[in-house]
Amino acid sequence: MPNSLPFRSSLALAALMSAALLTGSVPLANPHVRALGSLLMCQCGCGASISECNMQNCHSSGPVRAELLKMVEAGMSDEQILATFEREYGKVILRQPPAKGFYLISWIMPFAGLGAGLALLWLILRRYLGPRPAAATASAAAAPDSPALARYRERIEKDMADTDPDSK
Amino acid sequence: MEVLGALAILFAFCLSVYAFIGSVVGALRHRPYLQKSAERAVLGVFALVTAASAVLVYSLLVSDFRLAYVTAHSNRAMEAQYKIGAWWGGQEGSLLLWSWLLSLYSAVVVWTNRNRHREMMSWVVATLQFTQIFFLTLNVFVEPPFRVLAVGRGVQAMQDGQGLNPLLQYWAMVIHPPMLYLGYVGFIVPFAFAMGSLITRQRGDAWIHTTRRWSLITWGFQSAGIILGAGWAYAVLGWGGYWGWDPVENASLLPWITATAFLHSVMMQEKKGMMKVWNMVLISATFFLCIFGTFLTRSGFVSSVHAFAESSIGFWFLGFLTIGIALTAYLILSRLDYLKSDTHLESVLSRESSFLFNNLLLLASAFAVLWGTLFPRISEMLTGEKITVGAPFFNKVEVPIGLFLMLLTGIGPLIAWRRSSWESLKRAFRWPALALALTMVALAAAGVRHYYAVMSFGLCAFVTTTIAMEFVKGSRAIASRMQINLVRAAFELTHRNTRRYGGYLVHMGIVLMFIGFTGAAFNQDTTREVKVGDRFPIGHYELQVKEVTDGDTGNYSWQRAVIAAFKDGDYLGDLTPERRIYAASRQPTSEVAIRRRLNEDLYINFAGMSETAAGQAIVQVYVNPLVSWIWIGFWVLLFGTLVCLVPGKVKLAYARTGVVGVYAKQSAVQK
Repeated sequence: MPNSLPFRSSLALAALMSAALLTGSVPLANPHVRALGSLLMCQCGCGASISECNMQNCHSSGPVRAELLKMVEAGMSDEQILATFEREYGKVILRQPPAKGFYLISWIMPFAGLGAGLALLWLILRRYLGPRPAAATASAAAAPDSPALARYRERIEKDMADTDPDSK
Repeated sequence: MEVLGALAILFAFCLSVYAFIGSVVGALRHRPYLQKSAERAVLGVFALVTAASAVLVYSLLVSDFRLAYVTAHSNRAMEAQYKIGAWWGGQEGSLLLWSWLLSLYSAVVVWTNRNRHREMMSWVVATLQFTQIFFLTLNVFVEPPFRVLAVGRGVQAMQDGQGLNPLLQYWAMVIHPPMLYLGYVGFIVPFAFAMGSLITRQRGDAWIHTTRRWSLITWGFQSAGIILGAGWAYAVLGWGGYWGWDPVENASLLPWITATAFLHSVMMQEKKGMMKVWNMVLISATFFLCIFGTFLTRSGFVSSVHAFAESSIGFWFLGFLTIGIALTAYLILSRLDYLKSDTHLESVLSRESSFLFNNLLLLASAFAVLWGTLFPRISEMLTGEKITVGAPFFNKVEVPIGLFLMLLTGIGPLIAWRRSSWESLKRAFRWPALALALTMVALAAAGVRHYYAVMSFGLCAFVTTTIAMEFVKGSRAIASRMQINLVRAAFELTHRNTRRYGGYLVHMGIVLMFIGFTGAAFNQDTTREVKVGDRFPIGHYELQVKEVTDGDTGNYSWQRAVIAAFKDGDYLGDLTPERRIYAASRQPTSEVAIRRRLNEDLYINFAGMSETAAGQAIVQVYVNPLVSWIWIGFWVLLFGTLVCLVPGKVKLAYARTGVVGVYAKQSAVQK
């Protein structure tokens, strides 16, 4: 039912819709602000970046976007801007952990896990594919001795002993 | 009614306890009647939990606002499908859905195995009921869904409810949670059979043969649940993306990855009698990751936009996980003698070792997701400082792993079991390698400088060629033998070995999805504040806001922008993104407008009207290349999964190579 909004609802709608402005979508028209905003995490709990947050009642993205625009227009470098936000909000504002100090471990661990897995795989492959002494494998193959097999082995060993001059 | 519902869950709890004790005692003391009685109790649990669920759904449908749950998660103006969806819209209801699905699966397991696997069924039932007791404990004592709004001694009914979260009032959200839960809960069945097999010290692969279809169906449900969630995020959240690496999204991905590894490694056990311990570990990990995911979503342990309200329920989950993992680890370690491999690897250049690498990469991927999800909490505990691990981290870590996996997807099917020679590999990979090289060179020549994207497209061409070669070679052989055309021969080929060729179709689905994911490297977006009538460009497109209208449906008020789209000067039609304010919750949502095409999506979000500049609309526009291939790939994946479920025409017997034979041959050569 287009254009049939009651007066009170219209007022409420207008107030809520204007939240879009308050949350600061407009600075995003600046591509540099959008690029920097994509490196910063919105603090409203939406899980999106400052550029991507689309929550109407967001308390975080609007002020940050406005600040970003101000800093960009003031000619600050990207590093200066990010450092300012980190000082102001803490590391939680950055969308990824810094690759230094304790936080380096966050980057190392996934690849260390992969490396450990590769090392384990190499050990498995080496164990199964390494050279196997024929005698060892032969005795391993004969390991599950049945009484009949044991009799045969005994006879073979006896025959071999008879033919081997060193054993006498 | 609510008393009926509450009593039904309470009785279900009691019956579940009986089923658990009955099956354990019955198995230990060899009392077949007690074992049978326990199995029948499982059917009773299903009937009772179904009754309780029916009462809750009925209460939602008739808007019984005496119930706190109905008041908190629905309102009169909501459409019927969303009222049903409110069943899983809140903590209590979704836990009841968990219980109901678990009781349904348990009943199906008991019924279909009533004359089979008698030696391990009691332990299967015990495992299922151990988990059922846990969830019914939550339903009865921790998060009961039938609490009434009591004032003094009377029962107070509210005039209207607070409504379901508006973001959840979308068709995909009615299907997405049940699909995901069907996947989450479903992995209890192969896990229960694995435990039954371990407890009864079975040397064979009975548990794997029995649960192969369960695992596949469950994996299919999980895949559907994850993709529906991505589709919902794309169409509802209005930020132009479909996956944000949110902790709750990650929680759904983790068991899917380990389940994928399991589906591959069980083939090693079936065909070669290898990786028996590993399969036990994988299925256990998958099940516990399902529980862990539920814990993450509900405990408030990590912050997420998708999470339920923070509650003390996390301690219950931690308790269950601790007990469950400890028991499982003990069982596996104490039964290692029964899990020895029948055969061993014979060559690095073999299908077996490609499976090992596949498992390694999948596990590395799962570990990276888990690590990134938990690191903010680990960091906070160790340093006291909160940090964020967001999408850039996951993209940097997961993209290379994903590309390696794609490479293996192409390599695996072309390597023979046991061993391959370099010569045969060269022959097999000639055409796929050529496709890879040509694609990459063509893209580079066309000016594409995004290296990951070039590699990804190249690998997609590589895998597509290997799959096509497998179908063409097999179909040609059948066509010439049976004197039929190639298309019929391809059907015949697939029908003969549904697992193999269904698996290839699943791989093809993954390739198509990768094409869609890679398109994200070329996304374009802009945000504009424009007067009605003004035009603005983005990529090949030009957009013009024609008018802004508003209205009211009773459930929500809306404001809609009518935007004309032009491409290279040609008028494409009007797109109508909308902003809504829901009456009950006063919460606004976006209804984005998307023009979907195979090459790219034109995605428009209307962010509202500007107050500083009268009559100006704030519009966010995204041009997302190739996104449609993600959804197409999903349908191919689902089709492939269904093909895998069809019994093959030819019964394949896998001869297992004995260790003795191989080494005997080696010794003969050495002599």
